[in-house]
Amino acid sequence: MRTPTTARAIAILTAISFVAPSLAADDESTRKDLFTVITLHGLPCGEVVSVTTRAENDHIASCKDGSRYHVFLNAEGRVVVEKQ
Amino acid sequence: MNDSLVDIRAKELVMHLVGVVGLVLLLLMSGCAGLGTPPSNAPSQSSPPQAGVEAVASVVPQLPLPSAPPPTVAAHAGIAVVEPAAGSDALSTAAPIGQTAGTTTPPLARAPGKIDASRAPAAQPSKRESIPPDIAKPKAPPLDLASLEQRLKDTKAIGVLTKITLKNQVDDLLNQFRAFYQGKLKTDLANLRRSYDLLVLKVLSLLQDSDQALATAIAASREAIWGILSDPAKFATI
Repeated sequence: MRTPTTARAIAILTAISFVAPSLAADDESTRKDLFTVITLHGLPCGEVVSVTTRAENDHIASCKDGSRYHVFLNAEGRVVVEKQ
Repeated sequence: MNDSLVDIRAKELVMHLVGVVGLVLLLLMSGCAGLGTPPSNAPSQSSPPQAGVEAVASVVPQLPLPSAPPPTVAAHAGIAVVEPAAGSDALSTAAPIGQTAGTTTPPLARAPGKIDASRAPAAQPSKRESIPPDIAKPKAPPLDLASLEQRLKDTKAIGVLTKITLKNQVDDLLNQFRAFYQGKLKTDLANLRRSYDLLVLKVLSLLQDSDQALATAIAASREAIWGILSDPAKFATI
């Protein structure tokens, strides 16, 4: 009884250890992407510290300096950055 | 019995001798083979062989040499269009040859002789210089806009939103060019060039760390793309 439980725990932990970094990397790439977009729009943002994803291509980015930006793709296919 | 023993010993001696001679021959041959390789590299790299070339050129055939320089000159002339630095070198080397050819056309036999004596050392470096331009040649025509566009779409160095933002900015710049050529935008090509350079710099700065090959390709195509943008006729074909 104990052996299968341990095996399951190990399997779950292994799965988490594989998935967690990929999620973190994904989050990191999103933050980097949003930071680049904000910068390309000429807006100040030292570093994107957190991201809230509303929908696909629709994010709220919080910068290190406290500023928040709504970054989204509008109907015309343009990336819009709005300071909040 | 003694005779046969002597015969056998004599044969053994002969066999030993043959073996020793064979070894010596092998050593000699390997030594010759070792000596054979350096000269093949030497003429292309070191300067002393130039003297050998000069000597051969001045002594043996006077006709082949005049025919030899023109291809190098022609090659440089082709490069001159691509790279101004190489072009200036090409002009500096080509001009004297052209002048000597022009001034000494009647005595054909003398002209090659003069070229052999004074220009042969210059001709050798030009042959060596012709190697990098040959490598540089493929860099000049890498303007494949469709390929570049596809590579930009496929690259993982830039995020999706960044790609869309860059595309927006490219479209904006193209609209500015369009308006400028239609007379609707009061600006000049210098300003448009500034905007273009800035946009290329943005793209390069985003790519250079993660996709250096694409950054290099775009940097190499920079002037060619500007050539299209700054020419109304070419721009109309986009």
